[in-house]
Formats: sequence, structure tokens, C-alpha cells
Amino acid sequence: MRREWSARIAVVLILAGLPLAVLGYQYGLLPLLSSERIVTVAASIPETGGFSPASIQVRAGEAVTLRFTSVDVTHGIAIGPGLGVDLGQVDPGKTREISLTFEQGGIYTFYCTVWCSPNHWRMRGILEVTDVDGTIPPFPPDPVIELLVAEGINIDAASTPVLLQSSASLLSLTNGATVAAELNLPADLHNAVWRRTHTPQQVMLLLTMLYPAVSQRDLADAVAYLWRPSEEPSERTAQLYEQNCAACHGQFGQGDGFAAALTTVQPSVFTDLVYMFTRRGDVLYAKIRRGGMGTDMPNFGTLFTPEETWALVDFLWSLSLQ
Amino acid sequence: MTARINLLEKAPLLKTVLKSQGLQPALTILMLAGFVLAMLTGWFGTPVGSRNFGIVFVWIVWWGLLIIVLVPFLGRAWCMVCPIPALGEWLQRGSIIQRTSGRLRTRHRRWPRRFKNMWLQNIGFLILASFSTIILTRPNVSAWVLFGLMAAAVGLSLFFDNRVFCRYVCPVGGFIGLYAMMAPVELRVRDCRTCAQHRTKDCVTGNERGYGCPWMVFPGKLRRNTYCGLCMECLKTCPKDNITINLRPFGSDLFVMEEHRLDEAFKAFIMLSCALLYSAVLLGPWGWLKQWANIDTLAHWGVYVAALWGVNLLLVPGVFGVCVAVSRRISRLEVPLRQLFTDYAYACVPLGLAAWIAFSLSFVFVNGSYALPVISDPFGWGWNLFGTATQEWTPVLPGLVSFLQVGVLTIGLLFAVNTVYRITTHHITDRRRTFQAAMPLVLPLAGIALLFLWLYLG
Repeated sequence: MRREWSARIAVVLILAGLPLAVLGYQYGLLPLLSSERIVTVAASIPETGGFSPASIQVRAGEAVTLRFTSVDVTHGIAIGPGLGVDLGQVDPGKTREISLTFEQGGIYTFYCTVWCSPNHWRMRGILEVTDVDGTIPPFPPDPVIELLVAEGINIDAASTPVLLQSSASLLSLTNGATVAAELNLPADLHNAVWRRTHTPQQVMLLLTMLYPAVSQRDLADAVAYLWRPSEEPSERTAQLYEQNCAACHGQFGQGDGFAAALTTVQPSVFTDLVYMFTRRGDVLYAKIRRGGMGTDMPNFGTLFTPEETWALVDFLWSLSLQ
Repeated sequence: MTARINLLEKAPLLKTVLKSQGLQPALTILMLAGFVLAMLTGWFGTPVGSRNFGIVFVWIVWWGLLIIVLVPFLGRAWCMVCPIPALGEWLQRGSIIQRTSGRLRTRHRRWPRRFKNMWLQNIGFLILASFSTIILTRPNVSAWVLFGLMAAAVGLSLFFDNRVFCRYVCPVGGFIGLYAMMAPVELRVRDCRTCAQHRTKDCVTGNERGYGCPWMVFPGKLRRNTYCGLCMECLKTCPKDNITINLRPFGSDLFVMEEHRLDEAFKAFIMLSCALLYSAVLLGPWGWLKQWANIDTLAHWGVYVAALWGVNLLLVPGVFGVCVAVSRRISRLEVPLRQLFTDYAYACVPLGLAAWIAFSLSFVFVNGSYALPVISDPFGWGWNLFGTATQEWTPVLPGLVSFLQVGVLTIGLLFAVNTVYRITTHHITDRRRTFQAAMPLVLPLAGIALLFLWLYLG
């Protein structure tokens, strides 16, 4: 009889005690004893659900550990904007984690940085940080985009090249520097902020009127010299481009990324000077942050800071003018 | 009858252990703990299969032990400790260890006569096989399947006496029973006449020392392992001490000609075909096939399932049937085609078992090391119970696997050929005609073995 009751108790412990003990510990006791909250996020390709959970709410001041694990293929995990969190690659079954404490409310995005599937770019999740008063500050409007809207600029409109018809002949930045030094260029042209709101083509037209005796080639070189990034792109910017842009636009901006064949519209070719001479910097900026209408270009405004976006715009110029 | 070695005589301690009332419940309770943990990890643990106890321990550790060790060497030994029907059986009896008196606590319904065979198990196995890729890789699906099996076993035990689920429904029990025929261990009676003359038949009705056979088998007429669950109740109840556990040659049960049945024959075809299909899907170079089996789209999966059922129930038995018909014709045998078809199907049993062992070797050796981190962190929650959670995946002797597969498949083929030969000699005594009759069956079996080798070795 004693053995029978021992067996019965063992069975009850297994059927009821084991689940209660394990789940009670994990979901009840552990959060109570732990000073920080642990959120496990399972990453799978978007076709099978993407991030789970895809939305996480934390409070400002609350210590939270985000533990990412991959369910299927290798993913990459980064969180933005402005946090500078890049956990690198997460192989199936492996975990990467980061502990964060937000001082104030805001909306952040955790996203995949490795091309994991044709719908890779959809693989994003939201991290909502509520302020101490329980509110979440709204995502601030972008003044650059607002100005473009106010100006009536359609950032998706195609531009027609007027002067520069072929990028076959490579421009010379050295010659451009000499020409720019010899000519008495208007002061605005040396102002990076002014240049962002104008296309190289507009400046070419201006210079053609101002210096009709100078050859088109010399003027184009001078414009290219003006538009060249003043400094080498940072490693961070190059990494952002490689993780988020290169799959479609190609590692060197030639529009030949391995995912280019999957897009509905051919990705822009940044090495095409004819195309780039018709682009305004702020339009490139807006396109990156808002995405491209009617194309497969996703928005990156919820991933990058404005500074990171401008750095990327400069990176695009460096690709075309290198 | 070939010579047998009575293990209970050779090892009296074994007899004492097997007759113990507490042995089976103790082992079953241990397995139940693992089973419950497998379900819990499936429902609440990481969805990453290789980091989830439910997937690793059920489909790598348990499966590997079952098909590579337990079934080939001990037959239905797993059924003795299987936790799936345990709850239902304990509820029927009203106890776990103690022998309770009176009838079993069920509604005493009669199991339909038309289902007193393996057909439900065949269909059940094919249904599971249709979803196998997601069952094997998705912990929560796996957990629901385990739960479903246990719920079905408990549900049936409320209405029907004894282990109706194990005997007629369990999709796993079906193939274990089939392949248990190959095992070198058997439970039999010492002398059939003793049982025939024994009036009370305690092994069937039960007595104060044990229950009547829960598998609804009369040990006195037991000639094959197929339906004996090795629960040892007859060993406990037999007042004549007439039950023995014998060591015998491998595959002895294949030649009990009078008990060959069409449902078992189809079980043999299904298992062989499924081993082939699983090898193609999971080990083959066809990514699209794996995606179809993984339900990438409903249409693809539909085609896959139609092909799976077609190959299992029509193509392989059909081709085999044609070979049997050719064999019958050229050897001018008078035996009915259906009987010959059923008899020769048992040649697929050793080849099928060898194929499953070869298939399982590939992932047990390669993926077995996943058990180490999982035992420390069964849910994938970041635990480290035994300090092995960070153990990296390490394939064990991967270079050896191919050699083992070739060896196992060769042995399986030789067994199959021997089975064809012995079944043929049962019908034909003339040596030349025996050869003529066997060849049309040996050739496709050799072809199938080569197909497996091609899949495994590339």
C-alpha cells in the first residue's frame, strides 16, 4: 500500500507539480526575484512570422534585457534609431542579448540586418518606451521632408538629365578642384546645406550661364568636386549601407545586389552620374527615410537617425564620385 | 523450431526482477516525467527545435534508442515502459502498482471486429507521416501530437478494456510490433500443452498476482512477438511457471507462415516506403521536396501528401505485386496470388528495419550532441542546470556513419533475401523452381537497397 501511494504521489507530482514548478518559477518567481525584465524575442523569416513578439513595451527607467534567438536561418539584430545597438548575427538556436535602460520615452525599431528571405526588409519589430507619465512621445516629424512637401517636391518623380548625357567618361575630381579654384564660384556653392537642396545639374546650368567659355567637361568636374564628400565615410555608415542597402543597390552602388532581381522596379544605380546629377541631397535623404512609392524601397526613417541618414547620402555620393 | 536459450533459467535474478510488481510502474513513471517535460518544452519552450528538449529527446534520443537498439534487440521492450497508455491503464485498474480485485473500470465496450487488425495503425502512421516534417521540427506541433496520442489512449481506455489503443490504434506500436518480429528475444510458453490443459487460464483472466494480459493475447498460442507488449503480467500470473523469455535467432517470427496477414504486409510496405521517402525528403539534395513536405504552400503539400499515400499504398505494393505475379507465373505455383503477396511482403521487414536504422544513424550520430545543451536548458530559457548548456554541436564520428549505413543495409538485404528464399521453400521444394520464384523478388529488394545507398552516399 505504501508503494502504491508513493507511486500515486509521484504521478501527481509529474502531472501537476512539474508544470506548476517549472512555469511558476519561470513566469512567476524569476521575474519577482530579478531586478530586470527579460524579454525573449524569437526571430524567424517574415514569411513565417518575423519577430515574435513583434511589439515590446517597456517603461522609462526599467532595466530590460532583450534576448534574441533565431528559429530558422541566420538573422542579424540591430536596434535603432540612435541607440547604436548592433548585436551582429544570430545563428539558429543561438541567442544574443542586450540590457537596456531607457531614460525617457520613445519609439524604437529592432530589425534584421542579414538578408534572410525575399521579404527580409519586412522583418522589424517595435520597442515602445513609455515615459514616466505613461505616455509615448510620438515619432517626431522630419523637417527636411516637411520642407520638401511644402516646396511641392515629388521625391518619387523621375528627373530628366539635361546637360550630362553619359557617365561613360569619368569625371576628374583633381581637374574639378583646379577648375573650382580658378573660377570665382558663388559662395552658396561652397555651402553644404545649400547644395543639399539643389541638384548638380542645376549648378551645372548655373555655371554654364556664368562661365560660357569654360568647357562642359571642366564644369562637370568642378561640380563633381563640389559634391564630393568632404571626408571618408565612417565604418558605421559603410556598415549601415552594407546591411540595409547593398542587397538591392549592390555593394558598390551599381544596382546589382543579389536581391535586385526581386524588386518590382530596378534599384537606383548610384554609380550612374547622369542619374545622380539629377538628384537633390534632401530628396535622397527623404527617399531613404520615407521609402520609395511604387518601388520595393522600404522606409528607414524608423531605423536611422537624421545624422545617419545624411551620412548615408554622402556615402551614395562617394559611391558615384569615387 | 530453432534452438532457444531460456534466459529466465540462465539468469534467475532476471526472473525475480521481471516478476516484480513495481518494475514496470517505476520505469513507466520515469518515462512519464520525460514525456510531460517533452510536452511542456514543446508548448512553452523555445521554438528552435535543436534547443528544445521535446524535439531533441523525442525525435533524436528516444527515436534513436528505439529503432537502433530497443526494437532490433528487445522487440516491444519500449511498450513495457511507454507512458502514453499508462494513465489510461492505471485509471482502468484503479491503481498503479497494487493488484486490485474485480473488473477493470471501463464501459466494457467491444472493440469492432473490423478494426481488430493493423489498418488503423497503418492509416494513423500515414497521417503522421504526412505532417512529419513539421512534427519533427516544430516543438509545439510535436507536443500536441504527444498530447493527442495520450488523450486518445486515455479516452479509449475509458470505454474499452485493456490496451486497445496499443494493440489496434497506436501508430508507433504498429511498426514496433512489425519489427519486433526481428528481435532475438521472445516471450513464449515453455510447453503449449500445459497451457491447453490449464483450465483457469490465469494469464488471460488474471489472478491475485497480476492482471490478465492487457494486450489480449493468450500466451499459450503466442508464436510471434508482434502483439506481445512484454508487460510481464503473464509471468506474474502463470501458476504453472510456464512462461519463459528466450534468446533466439534474429527474425524468427517472419517464418510463422500461418499468421501472415495482409494488414501486416501493408505495414511492411508502408514502413519501407516511408523510410525511402523520409530519406529523400530529409537527407536528399532536393530542397524543393523538403519545402513541399514542410507545407510551404497548401498546393505543394497536397501534391506531396498525394504522392506519399500513393507510393505507400499503391506504387510500392503494386510493383511488389507484379513481381510476385511474375514469380508465381514462372515458377508455376498453385498458391493464390494474395497469399503469396502477403507471404513475400514479410521480406520487406528486415530491409525496412535496416533502412530505418540506416536513416536514423545519419542524424543520431550527427545531431546527438544536441542532447547535452538541451538537458541543461530544456526550454531554451537560458538555464544551465548541469553546466552543459553552452556545449556546442559536435557531430560524433560523422565519417563512420556511411560505413555503418552500408553495413546495416547489406545485412538487411541479406536477411530479406534469406526471407524470400525460406518463404519460397515453404511453397516449393524443387531447387531450380525455388531460384526461379525467388529472383523476381530478390531483384527489386536489391534495387531498393541500392536506392537507399544512393540516397545516403550520394
